[in-house]
Amino acid sequence: MTTPLVEAVGVGRSFRLGGQVIEALLPASFEVFPGDRIALMGPSGSGKSTLLHLMADLDVPSTGRLTWPALGASGRLRPGRIGMVFQASSLLPMLDLAENVALPLLLQGHTQEARERALQALDAVGLGSLADKLPEELSGGQAQRVGLARALVGRPKLILADEPTGQLDHATARHVLDALLAALEATDAALIVATHDAEIGARLRSVWYLSHGSLHSELEVEPAT
Amino acid sequence: MIGIWGKGLLGSRQGRLFGAMLGVGLTIGLIVAVGSFTVAASGTMTARAVADVPVDWQIELVPGADAAAVNEALDKAVKRRALATVGYASVAGFAARTGQTVQNTGAGKVIGVPPGYRETFPHQIQLLLGTWDGALIAQQTAANLHVGVGDPVSIERLGVGPTQVTVAGIVSLPNADSMFQAIGMPKGAGPQAPPDNVLLLPLAQWHALFDPQTSVRPDSVRSQLHVGLTHSGLARDPAQAYLQVERMANNFEARVAGSALVGNNLAARLEGARADALYARVLFLFLGVPGIVLAALFTLAVATSGLARRRREEALLRTRGASGTQILKLAGIEAGVIGAGGVLAGWGLAALAALAWWEISTFTAALAWVVTAAVAGLLLAACGILLPAWRDARQSTVAAARGSGLRAPAPLWQRLYVDIALLGLSAIVFWLIAGTGYQVVVAPEGVPQTAVHYDAFLAPLGLWIGAGLLVMRLMRLGLERGREGLARLLAPLAGGLAPVVAAALARQKDLIARGVALVTLAFAFAVSIAVFNTTYRAQALVDAQLTNGADVTVTGSTGAPPAQLLQGLAALPGVAAAEPMMHRYAYVGTDLQDMYGIDPARIARATPMSDAYFAGMSAREALARLAARPDAVLVSEETAQTFELQPGDLLNVRLQSAVDHKYHVVPFHYVGIAREFPTAPRDSFLVANASYMGRMTGTDAAEVVLLRTRGDPEAVAAGARKLAAPLPGIQVSTLGETRRLIGSSLTSVDLRGLTALELGFAVLMIAGVTGLILLLGLAERRRSFTILAALGAKPAQLGAFLWSEALVIVGAGAASGAAIGFAVAEVLVKLLSGVFDPPPEALSIPWPYLITVAVAAVACTAAAVRVMLALARKPDPLALRRE
Repeated sequence: MTTPLVEAVGVGRSFRLGGQVIEALLPASFEVFPGDRIALMGPSGSGKSTLLHLMADLDVPSTGRLTWPALGASGRLRPGRIGMVFQASSLLPMLDLAENVALPLLLQGHTQEARERALQALDAVGLGSLADKLPEELSGGQAQRVGLARALVGRPKLILADEPTGQLDHATARHVLDALLAALEATDAALIVATHDAEIGARLRSVWYLSHGSLHSELEVEPAT
Repeated sequence: MIGIWGKGLLGSRQGRLFGAMLGVGLTIGLIVAVGSFTVAASGTMTARAVADVPVDWQIELVPGADAAAVNEALDKAVKRRALATVGYASVAGFAARTGQTVQNTGAGKVIGVPPGYRETFPHQIQLLLGTWDGALIAQQTAANLHVGVGDPVSIERLGVGPTQVTVAGIVSLPNADSMFQAIGMPKGAGPQAPPDNVLLLPLAQWHALFDPQTSVRPDSVRSQLHVGLTHSGLARDPAQAYLQVERMANNFEARVAGSALVGNNLAARLEGARADALYARVLFLFLGVPGIVLAALFTLAVATSGLARRRREEALLRTRGASGTQILKLAGIEAGVIGAGGVLAGWGLAALAALAWWEISTFTAALAWVVTAAVAGLLLAACGILLPAWRDARQSTVAAARGSGLRAPAPLWQRLYVDIALLGLSAIVFWLIAGTGYQVVVAPEGVPQTAVHYDAFLAPLGLWIGAGLLVMRLMRLGLERGREGLARLLAPLAGGLAPVVAAALARQKDLIARGVALVTLAFAFAVSIAVFNTTYRAQALVDAQLTNGADVTVTGSTGAPPAQLLQGLAALPGVAAAEPMMHRYAYVGTDLQDMYGIDPARIARATPMSDAYFAGMSAREALARLAARPDAVLVSEETAQTFELQPGDLLNVRLQSAVDHKYHVVPFHYVGIAREFPTAPRDSFLVANASYMGRMTGTDAAEVVLLRTRGDPEAVAAGARKLAAPLPGIQVSTLGETRRLIGSSLTSVDLRGLTALELGFAVLMIAGVTGLILLLGLAERRRSFTILAALGAKPAQLGAFLWSEALVIVGAGAASGAAIGFAVAEVLVKLLSGVFDPPPEALSIPWPYLITVAVAAVACTAAAVRVMLALARKPDPLALRRE
């Protein structure tokens, strides 16, 4: 039997805002396995980013238990095991693109091959020629593709992408998704993309719906061709 | 919209707002504190200068003048608090019989003292022995005549026969120079030495004895009105007060139409105080203005620390359709909140400073400063926040505003080489001043006009700012071109991340260089102020040592020399060394001078011998020259010039012999110039070998014993007083007493309040630039550190980025700041040489303060990095969603 990458039992997250308690994610149970391609859909504020941050170990659940059986213990997950693509541009402005992409490897101590692999990853997203540019010199789409390259450079088992195309036009969004899927094609890494773009949902194998913090359905879909 | 913005600002940016308010508050606090201190100091300058003038005016009545008319004119011309009529009679000399011998003196004066005089003018006459009732003889005259209390003294009157009085007391006349001044001499004429022989009689007795002389020799008898004026109406500025008092005297002299002349002691004191007051003003400028400039730069740095964030927010607002005016209003809210908060904080800080160091009333007296500082604070906040917003709204595109500005061109000042120009200007001004030796403050005696060369201020200011900018230029250049070297330097701290950390720092060269420049200026300010202050205090100590002679000085007379107690004094607990020193009087030509007899091989055991005491040679060489020749003598510059002495020249002086009590010629050979000497007066004196003086005068009595202490000098002084109690006329003084005396007079500008304020402020400023500015700068880039943490950076790896930045900024800033600080201190000491007496041989380094500053810098840097590390260590999911 395949060991799940992520196993959640009754995981929920609430925030206290003033005197009010906001239930960002109601208790939910699920598993994520290698090779999964999941679209996490729902309107803004439904809890998509919260769920992704919990799975990335960037946030701690208020209730329930979240484990990463195939990835290791909490606190030691990143940067090698999980690749994260953020909603907004998350490149460090004072580093060039190659340094930005190489950063996860450098943080793991892979200093020798970091630059070479970073250049390969930039090539993979079609931006190899811009390696010495600064983030401020890129367009939004290019910045997101660099974000993808950085998420992929450590060859993670799980990619979590938080609305990676949310700020892009349709054509650019399609290019970014193409680049992401192409890069993962030959791997058994799992991909979870938070989005409210139905077109993206249609291109992934599963769709999870979130509404008002409630993960109420998991739907298997036929991958779009 | 504006309300929502303001609420959001207060709700979500409290930390940054508070930090910025604190920065503005520090600036305002300093401006108000310096202002109120200046008001307090200048307000007391005249009062301090005139407080110990023994007699304000000595009005000499010409023979035949109508005393009542003069009194009436006086009442109309001035407001007075005291008046006494004093008689002055010249006599041919005094005589006294001791055993079989009769001692005679040269010409002298007999003073008629009215009843109540010593209560009205308490500093004029000091009783050493005996009682006040009857004839009082001056200490030196008593020594010359060998008389004591109860002995008869014959007064040789002019034109009438001698008369005899009995000595009731022996006194000293501390203000003999002014008491016996020649009134009516033209301005600029040299001072007249007081008479060597003086006797004081009650006025009634004086009239009884000298009215006959008046009728025979009216030219030899005078009356003087000694006047104490009401000082409350005097201007606070001594220069103004001097003019005021001079005009009052002129007015009075015009009223009496030549029947009386004014000896204006008050104006003379104020004339001397003018230079000190001007120096005080210059010191406030030289020491206070850099602090205010630094504070303003600090405020701007604090206010602009959120510039990138504000630009992004304003760009976002513009994309949402906000107009330029609306954006300016929103920026105005932030500027207003920071400015207003800063003003209140600054006022509070200044009030605390005023409470701690001087009277709170001065805080209210300095209302103009309080208001100016508030306006300055609001303007600075506006310059840091509103001005960039206005400039962006007019010139910048949204895309440019959203950029990080990492590839911005070199700033205008750098392209125009303003730093090099400032350093050049500083060097030229310094060369012109130090090279030509002109004084920053000119207040010539007898001339009402004064001048201050404020342009001299360009030397330290140009050096300070120019060097700060040069450091900024070099940092930019170094970070741009020396990235690999920086990576190697940071490798021990950042490990494998060193190249990336170095790259990040290099690309933030503008930010880093600004930080380094600010730390440099803050350190330079702290170091220069501290070094100047310590050097000033050290010289004040040297001055006190010169005046007092040693830690504890025991002074007596030839008849009762304290050196006979030498063994007992040396054995007192806390005494490290005790050395005797002769203090005699010798005639050089017709000039009576103080002459000191020392053992050149041992004198330095009891009192420090500074090189500054001697001209053209070190202290060691001067003492060696004395030791090499028994009849060697060191003379003052004035004596060497007057008698055109060359080394080796014979100098005959007349010293009193203990055998016949007459003055005899004693040959000496001139070996060099002594500018200063412990206990010696400033104008003219002689230093020779005690053994030779003893042999030639027939007595080796040493009138002074200098004690170096290793414990509490006050306890040693108490012991010495007890031991010397049986000897008549012994005085024991300590360095501490003398220091307090010098420190409380205006001859030494009191820097304590200003420097305490500035030194405290400098520590706060260093804490501010290393802690607050670093934290605000890092906080503005918190998202970058959060991303690093989200990418899996361990605390040590996050620390590598943070510590490296802090190390570069604080390390480079502290090192260059310390170097610049010493250079500025050197320039200040050279330019302000007029405030030092004697001039310092070298800068004094205040290690405890410098260590405090370094510790404050390290602690605040560490605190800033740790706070940032704690914030960045736990990724903030919300921050990751925001751009």
